Amino acid sequence: MTEGWSSAPPRHTDAEGGCGVTGFACSIPVSGRHIYEPSAQMHNRGNGKGGGIAAVGLEPGRLGVSREILNDDYMVHIALLQPEARNQVEADFIMPMFEVHHAEALDHIDDYRDVEGLEVRPPDVQRYFVRVKPEVLRKFAEERNLTGLPERDIEDEFIYQNTFQLNSKYYASLGEKQAFVLSHGRDQMILKVVGYAEHIVTYYNLEDFKGHVWIAHQRYPTRGRVWHPGGAHPFCGLNEALVHNGDFANYYSVSEYLAQRNIKPLFLTDTEVSILVFDLWNRVYRYPLEYIIEGLAPTTERDFDMLPKEKQEIYRRIQRSHIHGSPDGPWFFIIARNDVANDSFQLLGITDTAMLRPQVFALQDGEVQIGLICSEKQAIDATLHSLAKEDSRFCPIADDYWNARGGSYTDGGAFAFNVKRNGDGSRHLTCQDKFGRPREVRPGRRVGGVGSGERETQNSELRTQGFSDGPALFEALKAAAPGEGFVELQGLCSEVAARASDRSDKSDRSDRIDVAIEALTLMIDRRYPVGDNKRSSVLQVVNDCLTGILESIPTITGEPASRYARIDWETRSALRPPGGPEEVLVVNARGFPPEDDDCDARLVVRANELGWKRFICYGYVGQRFLGCGLGPDSDNVVIDAYGSSGDYLASGLDGATVIVHGNAQDQVAQILKRGKLVVHGDVGQTFMYGAKGGSVFIKGNAAGRPLINAVGRPRAVINGTCLDFLAESFMAGDPLNGGGFVVLNGVRTDDDGNMTDLDTSYPGSNLFSLASGGAIYVRDPHQQLEDEQLNGGAFLELSDADWQIILPYLQENERLFDIPISRLLTVDGVVREPRRVYRKVAPAKLKAAIVADDDGNLALCEESNE
Amino acid sequence: MATTVDRNGIPATAMAGLGLEPPIREVRPAPDRFRNSLGKYRVWRSDACVKCGKCEEICPRGVHVRPDGYPDFLTGLDWRCTAEKCKAAGTYCVDHCPQKALKIELSPMYKSLGDFRWTADLILSAWHMAATGEIPDGELEYEIGNSGGGFDRMRFKFPENGPRTDPAEISTALPLNRRGDNRPEITIDVPVYGGGMSFGSVSPHTMLAKARAATAWNTFSCTGEGGYPERLFAYRDHVITQVATGLFGVREETIKMAPIVEFKYAQGAKPGLGGHLLGDKNTPAVAAMREAVAGTSLFSPFPFHSVYSIEDHKKHVDWVKHINPRALVSAKVSTPVDVDMVAVGSYFAGAHIVHIDGSYGGTGAAPEIAKKNIAMPIEYAIPKVAKFLQDEGIRDKVTLIASGGIRTACDMAKAIALGADGVVIGTPEMVALGCIRCGRCESGRGCARGIATTDPELIMKMTIEWGTQRLINMHAAWRAQLVSILSRFGMRDVKELRGRTDLLTHLDYE
Repeated sequence: MTEGWSSAPPRHTDAEGGCGVTGFACSIPVSGRHIYEPSAQMHNRGNGKGGGIAAVGLEPGRLGVSREILNDDYMVHIALLQPEARNQVEADFIMPMFEVHHAEALDHIDDYRDVEGLEVRPPDVQRYFVRVKPEVLRKFAEERNLTGLPERDIEDEFIYQNTFQLNSKYYASLGEKQAFVLSHGRDQMILKVVGYAEHIVTYYNLEDFKGHVWIAHQRYPTRGRVWHPGGAHPFCGLNEALVHNGDFANYYSVSEYLAQRNIKPLFLTDTEVSILVFDLWNRVYRYPLEYIIEGLAPTTERDFDMLPKEKQEIYRRIQRSHIHGSPDGPWFFIIARNDVANDSFQLLGITDTAMLRPQVFALQDGEVQIGLICSEKQAIDATLHSLAKEDSRFCPIADDYWNARGGSYTDGGAFAFNVKRNGDGSRHLTCQDKFGRPREVRPGRRVGGVGSGERETQNSELRTQGFSDGPALFEALKAAAPGEGFVELQGLCSEVAARASDRSDKSDRSDRIDVAIEALTLMIDRRYPVGDNKRSSVLQVVNDCLTGILESIPTITGEPASRYARIDWETRSALRPPGGPEEVLVVNARGFPPEDDDCDARLVVRANELGWKRFICYGYVGQRFLGCGLGPDSDNVVIDAYGSSGDYLASGLDGATVIVHGNAQDQVAQILKRGKLVVHGDVGQTFMYGAKGGSVFIKGNAAGRPLINAVGRPRAVINGTCLDFLAESFMAGDPLNGGGFVVLNGVRTDDDGNMTDLDTSYPGSNLFSLASGGAIYVRDPHQQLEDEQLNGGAFLELSDADWQIILPYLQENERLFDIPISRLLTVDGVVREPRRVYRKVAPAKLKAAIVADDDGNLALCEESNE
Repeated sequence: MATTVDRNGIPATAMAGLGLEPPIREVRPAPDRFRNSLGKYRVWRSDACVKCGKCEEICPRGVHVRPDGYPDFLTGLDWRCTAEKCKAAGTYCVDHCPQKALKIELSPMYKSLGDFRWTADLILSAWHMAATGEIPDGELEYEIGNSGGGFDRMRFKFPENGPRTDPAEISTALPLNRRGDNRPEITIDVPVYGGGMSFGSVSPHTMLAKARAATAWNTFSCTGEGGYPERLFAYRDHVITQVATGLFGVREETIKMAPIVEFKYAQGAKPGLGGHLLGDKNTPAVAAMREAVAGTSLFSPFPFHSVYSIEDHKKHVDWVKHINPRALVSAKVSTPVDVDMVAVGSYFAGAHIVHIDGSYGGTGAAPEIAKKNIAMPIEYAIPKVAKFLQDEGIRDKVTLIASGGIRTACDMAKAIALGADGVVIGTPEMVALGCIRCGRCESGRGCARGIATTDPELIMKMTIEWGTQRLINMHAAWRAQLVSILSRFGMRDVKELRGRTDLLTHLDYE
């Protein structure tokens, strides 16, 4: 198949960096419009020079074929860059070899210019349902010496080679590119354009086109003024479609590895070689998925040591044989796959060993199940929001959000969502990690499900007597949370909303809003028993209520009348200094661009310059930079953020307080100088990179590389754990002398509010590496952490002085998150002394430190902690 | 500059608290600060001398010194000697001495000074320019080195009898913002500014001298990544805040007050290696500025942990633009083979200045093996990037700055003719301050000249005023040379020289 091409691997000509990737798999087929929202939201991760989508698990009716044909036939999609090439392409590569059971040109809107922002006409796409003619296949098998293999495998190979030859002739070898195969897998479709991914949905009329698995990619290529859709993602293997965020460093090596196996890339992007490697290991070497993942993201360091012996043996062989085909550097793959052998549609996310790209996984279980993988959490929420609007079986909030730990012994850095067939022909979704271990969420009832919200509310009058007090109201709401069918909770929430916006009530409305916001915020932040209900549904009810109350606040266009004023995208130009009783500016971030001069974060800065100090910001869909730019004179500024706040939140904070009610994203609190950050959830990658100070409280986990290169006196409490590389090159002085530290508690609180210890407080191989100052106080009562995880650090016993330093932070942590110190000190049911629970990690040796004496003279002094 | 008082109470105009005059753009003598200057020749006077005074009379350079009324000669000012030139002009004192008492030979210091790139001639002529503001009129080769490649093999093809422009009418100004994006249109008066050298890698006196000279010449200096010392605040309008991978000393305040923020992704001298301040230089003062632990080695990682791709870079640029809506953004990158794509990507991500840093630069702190083997030499990178920007249709939307081995005004002019808009210099400023290129920059107490040091005693070897004047003089001499080149081509503006590769010839490929 590869005659006539030079043996030297081609140079990677299509450098590109990251991009945005998103995907979801669902137990029921859902329409293409739901991939539109997350794609549109990650606009700023692409530059409109390449977008693509793939769908797997389609509906036969819409395609004009029977279920059998959809299952058994290959769906060949050919992009005709020159429509007149069609006849020739068919004559060369379709008609002679295939039985064509159905063929059609993909429907599209008449004029591409009607799609806003689409500047290049997308290719005409021709779809064929085909099987290889038996005599052609027989001849092929004989010629290629494949006789004896299962028929289907030979046919797969034929399809693959036919595509290669078509692409060689009509795409790669021509000055003028004419046509190429978008995809050829079974029950699968890939489409690509020069534009943004969501343009595809509009242009090809896919709003109502349904599939079980969807993935999309926003590309950010940096070379050339002329782009071809051929370079856009996804790229296909056989039954796989792969999108990629990253840019690995060893393209040449991987190409050479492939060249040694007679495989030649045609599109010259690292994404293409990734899927070529995947296909080689999958279809030719027949590796199980676990081994393919191991080949791509090898397990290393202590993670390798933690594997069972048998696995180590196999993994070592995989690494020895295939390390040159292993992409090195930042990458994150999402693969949509028709796993025909298992009659399953699969969505797969794999992160590189060092976790250099952002990635979030999410799962929602219930009557329908959905698994999602995205570059940013906000894209997950956008997908769910879009689905929930259409179908009440979906909730706008997932049951669980998490990050994969690349190349790890814990989850292998990869998760697969499998949509498997039930006995009755319907499908259900399960989630497994690399090792095949299931990841599940607590079952429960959804709001909007049968019987919810239909009955009249009872006793709400009685319960709401505590309306003058936030915590009391919270108690009432909390008590209603486990109630059957959400009736009580919804009733109570309606009451809260009605009271807060009741204009006939003579009491101060601002006071009532205060109480409502406080109580509803506690409902969002805290964990409490929810009985048979889904916590995500409880949150949905509470969020809706809170949003309703915030929306009822009069906008800033009117005269100052109460403590609250609201501003949104439409009223942004009416921004003015606070007047009269006004104190709190409520900012609805929806509609604001995620960055640039018009973004909501700049509005907050301008408002602060005009005298506003107190902000409640909501409606976030990934808008960035909240809390940035306030400068050093911001000690009295307090910002509460609700919803999916975006990257770089509070980066550069120098005195202000930012409270995130939910998860925060990547690059949070970079170069934090002073002030306070509270996150009632998880934080993403490179959290507190280069931080200098400030107090930070994280209820959940931090992803990869938190506190790298932090100096000065940053003080952070992380109640969960981190993926890896915590406090690398930490340089934060001596905590007992004003320096910085991290308290790592290693606990999690489940959906019912029960606190449990994690399997280990820190699973990573790199803790406090190359650090020269500061300390980590890790809760490790069973002494599970070991020296192998350190590189330049040492475990020390906690002294009284240490405890006195961290105690106020744990007290504040208790106040904020309801994580009692007494519980933290309880191990196996017994309360222990702090030094028996916490261990200190500090620099092993401060060698040859230079100190100045009173006269400013320098002297060398040896200090040691050992 | 408006007379405002900043939040630290420092008036923006008065150099209060520093006891320094505001720097002005005026050449004033700033002779070598050491008693015995280094020069090309050593002059020997034997006992045969009869003190006739013939040598003193004939010497055009004042080498032979005899105070009025004294019969004896003092130790000669050998470093001024231009023996070869005198031989040709008939003023060679050795020939004129009736007693044959004089002997002139190459100074042993001259023989051991410099290297192939930075020859002894280049160092001595740089000192001359810094001392006098003038081009050496002696026999020193001040335009090219002896590396056998790069700028050293390139020559300008000046027209034989073309019309010359009046130097007074020539503009050397360089606009830095060409995006047309409502951010300030900053223009510098010379197409060159000072590279980032951190507090810690160089002394505070060096930083201040650089910033003051930049102020006098209406151009820029750069903080490097070791923080923004408060003494620099007075020159903030001419100081670039660098955001480098270690993020040392970077905080909102220093981003907010900078007219330009520079992202240092990599250094041409050591791409992929990050930054590294060895423990010995990390004194308590340095550690306090960086908020780190004194005496430990400080690493800046490679790359930015938050930037692993182009869209991360855009986000990073957006962040700084958000914090300071008036700042211009410069992206400093090294020169890998795909530097052209990096440059275009940087522009589309929002940078005003794309700063490409080639392989020849770097102080003694950069590993030799890295300096000579990783990045692409800048003379290859400039045309490659310039052409690609042109092909992309954005050449006039971005300011392309080149650095990494720009030693002389002539190198600067060649870089511009190859396609850059301007250059950034590092080592030439150090040499102007008296650096002898011994290459021991990494050791805090190793800098014999008290330039790249953090040792309190060594710092005092150089005053801020003297350093400022040396750099002001250097810029004057550089500008004069650039103007002279433009004049010989009949050009009126340095912009006309940009990309005129047709005016260059390479001796190896003529």
